[in-house]
Amino acid sequence: MDFPFIKEAVSQLFGKSSCAMYPAVPSEAAEGYRGRIVYHPERCIACGMCERVCSGNAITRSVEHLEDGQDKITLTFNLGSCTFCASCADFCAKQAIEFTRDYHMIATSEEDLLVRGSFIKAAPKKKAPGPAKQADCQAQSGAGVKPRDDGKPVSDPSRCVYCTICARKCPVQALTVDRAAKTWMLDEEKCIACGTCAQACPKNCIIL
Amino acid sequence: MFKRLIEESTEKSPWLFHINAGSCNGCDIELVSILTPRYDAERLGFKLAGSPRHADIVVVTGPVTKQSLPRVLRTIAQVPEPRCIVTMGSCPQSGNVFRGSYSIAGPLSKYVPVDVDVAGCAPKPEAIIDGLALAAKMLREKRGQKK
Repeated sequence: MDFPFIKEAVSQLFGKSSCAMYPAVPSEAAEGYRGRIVYHPERCIACGMCERVCSGNAITRSVEHLEDGQDKITLTFNLGSCTFCASCADFCAKQAIEFTRDYHMIATSEEDLLVRGSFIKAAPKKKAPGPAKQADCQAQSGAGVKPRDDGKPVSDPSRCVYCTICARKCPVQALTVDRAAKTWMLDEEKCIACGTCAQACPKNCIIL
Repeated sequence: MFKRLIEESTEKSPWLFHINAGSCNGCDIELVSILTPRYDAERLGFKLAGSPRHADIVVVTGPVTKQSLPRVLRTIAQVPEPRCIVTMGSCPQSGNVFRGSYSIAGPLSKYVPVDVDVAGCAPKPEAIIDGLALAAKMLREKRGQKK
């Protein structure tokens, strides 16, 4: 008689078990695994891009107005609603959302699965009183910025958060946005008036 | 004496019953993977039961569709007390990407008290083993209260 697998069977009988022995032997997730979210509020600029791209509606943003004119912005990530697709981290202009390799997400209540972070957004610096105040009011209503005749974009500085998304979306690199210096510049020769920047702007502050 | 022996044995080996409430099959595959030789939850006493009447732990996957809701509730009602309900993946907890759909009746916690949530989409097999171990611990506590 022929036993084709006898050698294999005997070697498996005395070999090491193929079982992962998990609770006794701790196991680490593979590199690039998308587990628990860590949010870095100090890097966040509250542009709202993560909230827009989230397919599971797992991200909520709440704004609390403080007495001194500053805003306390809180972002809540509900891991119980997350698909761990990492779209929010990919779209984040400031790398404020990080996916770690921690997969131990066991909860007995809904509160255990919430990741929260908040930061205080400083109020815009007030200019000298008098005529400047009037200009401020105008800018807030958007009346201070007029659309151009040639269809090229104009940014409303009162609403712009300088998140640089428009500059990165621009197909001809006509926009230069500097977050530190708070400047928004348009290269009129390069601009093709396609409107991509206005569509991409999370604050709807680009006027065509 | 017999009763005590049975109680002690069931404590060490909670049986699972798996309900698919409209799941995409990702979590179901992961649940099967913990029972296969690679992760082998049977060495920890977990065994997949064929009938809800034999089960101690109910594992629900999927966002609880309107079609599946009466069946899910009827099946859970057949599981004898004390029982532990474990939701697996994001779907039964919140609806996940299906939230707001006309055919979704979830989340499951609206209808039955959920004991353990295992988050992930789909959760890693190690996380499921952790969740089931927690469920087994809660089951033991529930039995202790009943005595």
